[in-house]
Amino acid sequence: MRHPNQAILALHAGGDLGPFRSWLTARHLARCADCREEVAGYTEMRELLPELAELPEISWNRMAAEIKANVRLGLEAGECVRTADMPLPRASMTGWRAAVAIASVVVMVGGCLMLERPAPQPVHVAAETSVESTQDGVQFQAGDDRAFGLMNGAQKAVYHLDAQGSMGSRYIDRETGAVTIATVSYDVQ
Amino acid sequence: MGTTVLIGMSDVIEPGLELQERQNRFVSQHFRRIFVQIYHVVQNVADAQDLTQEAFIKALQHQEQLKDEAKAAHWLSRIATNTAIDFLRKSGRATFCELDEAPESHSESPEQILLRSEHREYLEDGLRLLSARERAALIMRDVEGLPADEVALRMNCSKATVRSHIANGRNKFRRYMERRKR
Repeated sequence: MRHPNQAILALHAGGDLGPFRSWLTARHLARCADCREEVAGYTEMRELLPELAELPEISWNRMAAEIKANVRLGLEAGECVRTADMPLPRASMTGWRAAVAIASVVVMVGGCLMLERPAPQPVHVAAETSVESTQDGVQFQAGDDRAFGLMNGAQKAVYHLDAQGSMGSRYIDRETGAVTIATVSYDVQ
Repeated sequence: MGTTVLIGMSDVIEPGLELQERQNRFVSQHFRRIFVQIYHVVQNVADAQDLTQEAFIKALQHQEQLKDEAKAAHWLSRIATNTAIDFLRKSGRATFCELDEAPESHSESPEQILLRSEHREYLEDGLRLLSARERAALIMRDVEGLPADEVALRMNCSKATVRSHIANGRNKFRRYMERRKR
């Protein structure tokens, strides 16, 4: 014999099945003691539940006053939040308004770029500035004056020169065997 | 030929009165029913009162959604049910009925009051085993005696879903009773 499942029996106990399903279940229950017992269990349970409907003693007038006052407060608080969250009214951005707005933005952006760019610094370039490699080393010359040089004799040295007016050499000293780094700078002012 | 004019709930409540007065009347008219409905689900006076207030605030804040006077009570009931279910879901905490809040009759002896209180606690323990929706469906069907269609309407779901919640709820509750008997 095929028994209805527990959900069907639980619903049958409360009269919650459709007519056909209810008829089928009733027919089964007529010849199945086990399922009748199950349904009786659900019916017993259902008879207990209405006790939960009982209310404690409540002062309805006091509760009504409290609820009204709190609802009022809640609505007012909600109104404050809603007002604060409200978007600003939109102005129509068409025609001359759009043109003025775009022009203003262009002027502002241009102004910002001009202000941010550093003023060009005057560059003092000496006449006939040159760097020359000689037999003894390297020398820097500005105009007719010899500015400075790194003379390391015939030693094999690595030289470097930068645009800020400094010059350096690195070589191994013949006598000590130590790596020597010499840097000199020239003030172009 | 008649013209249908769609109106907001503030007009549905009672036209011609100040808004605040209309809202007060609306609360007075429905608060007992809504409180009882919520109380049956949460089984605690303080929580039920808070949730009743919350349900009214939600309803009045969205009163423009209601266009039909006939549906105002159902609409409010639905908001109340959802508010109670949300509360049970979020809190997940036990809701005890205080002994001094327990239903009492002046003709009952202290022993009878105690017994009644214990029995109520026994039933409430069983309810706690149910999910929020199972509990709400079972309460509305077996405690309030509402038909399944009405429960479905209040819970904003199909009748088949409500039947499933009711069947699960009855099944769990019955197993609980059997365990307690042993």
